[in-house]
Amino acid sequence: MKAEVVTLVLHLMFVAVIFQFTPLITRRGIFFSATVDPDFPRSADGRRVLRSYRWQAALWAVLAIGVQLVLPPRHPLTAMLLPMLLMIIGSAFSYWLKFREVHTHYGQRRPEIRQAELSVPPAGERFNAWLWVPPFAALALTAAYLQLHWSQLPERFPVHWGADGQPNRWSSREPLTVFAPVLIGAAMNLFMLGLAWLFSQLSRNTIMRRVTVRLLEVLLYPLTLTFIIVALLPFGLVVPVWLIPAIMLTCVAGLIFWSYRQIVAPALADAVPDPQSDSYWKAGMFYYNPNDPAIFVAKRVGIGYTVNFANKMCWLVLAGILLLGLLPAALGILAGRK
Amino acid sequence: MTDALTLRIDLDSSIPAGRQIVDGLRILLVSGKLSLGSELPSVRRMALDLGVHFNTVADAYRTLADEGWLHLHHGRAARVVCRDVPNPTMDQMDEFGHRLRALVAEMLAKGIPAAKLQDDMRVAAEELES
Repeated sequence: MKAEVVTLVLHLMFVAVIFQFTPLITRRGIFFSATVDPDFPRSADGRRVLRSYRWQAALWAVLAIGVQLVLPPRHPLTAMLLPMLLMIIGSAFSYWLKFREVHTHYGQRRPEIRQAELSVPPAGERFNAWLWVPPFAALALTAAYLQLHWSQLPERFPVHWGADGQPNRWSSREPLTVFAPVLIGAAMNLFMLGLAWLFSQLSRNTIMRRVTVRLLEVLLYPLTLTFIIVALLPFGLVVPVWLIPAIMLTCVAGLIFWSYRQIVAPALADAVPDPQSDSYWKAGMFYYNPNDPAIFVAKRVGIGYTVNFANKMCWLVLAGILLLGLLPAALGILAGRK
Repeated sequence: MTDALTLRIDLDSSIPAGRQIVDGLRILLVSGKLSLGSELPSVRRMALDLGVHFNTVADAYRTLADEGWLHLHHGRAARVVCRDVPNPTMDQMDEFGHRLRALVAEMLAKGIPAAKLQDDMRVAAEELES
């Protein structure tokens, strides 16, 4: 079996495991995006619903892996996208079925109590600008180092490595290719900074906002370190092939664990209430509330935010996020063509 | 975080959100918890946190400004200002008396004993005056 297919199957299995645990990453009193009694998930019915969803999600995963192995399309993008889309859409469909079941048979209604902090600015709104300075400064220092030691750079150096760890694409010594990792790193940081700022400004002051903004702030550091290592590789820096994925995976896993503990901790989750009626959650996944001025609303499952699709401004904000997200990708493509 | 001054409203309540905001802020102002010179969150921030329309919060701030509690200036935060306690007119006292009788009647109709009512009113007056 080719190494590429093994890598793709591993990707699918990784996402399949995430789908198995997704319903558990939720606040107390929410189960499959429906409002329930806090003890319901541990009840016999709750366990049965979860078990049934997990079986269905596992079947979608097996089907997706089967498609990946049996029908490998010629185009690499299709080979990557088709099985993944099949699994995501299939699992989302199963999730929607469970949302309907839980909401219809075990759903509860809680008063929509909202709370505003009267201190100015509210503690949850404070934006830790100083946390964002070191990563940008480190990238700027790396750029200065590259400029100062330009003559020591080889005429040709690897810019892409295959699954086996061997370089499979090379580039010549040109400003765009040499500075590409630093520029892409800065663009990525800018993207995350933009997201954190938007969340801090356009969402309610809840535990989810504090967790999400802190997550983005901390994630910036391993990401920046990764881009700095890649930028210095042409100097002959020897880095084990597993080092960068290991740094990222360790940090991401640690941050997800920390966020999970914060979100599901009953004392914290209940500290700032943000209940919404289940009727505002279409299919348990899409928030639509014309009476709510919030653009970003904490997701009911997982960590992070979704938009309020009833607010027309959300499309403008989504377009802005997409543009910010395309910047590092565009830089990567430009550098890759050189 | 838990010590921060907060305002809570119930969006399911039969009392309109704007009225709840005015009532909640007035309690904090009368009791002195929102002290002279304090700044309130912007209309946008308050509306976002409470999940109500911006105009609802703006109207609530204007009502309290008309009562003399807040100073509003375009582009700046609403600020708590010094306010002289006005002398109530006879009409105002009659209106409050009428509203109080209606409230007491409603509470008695729901079975709340008169003694409990008296105690609650005394405690509320003492808390807000202190």
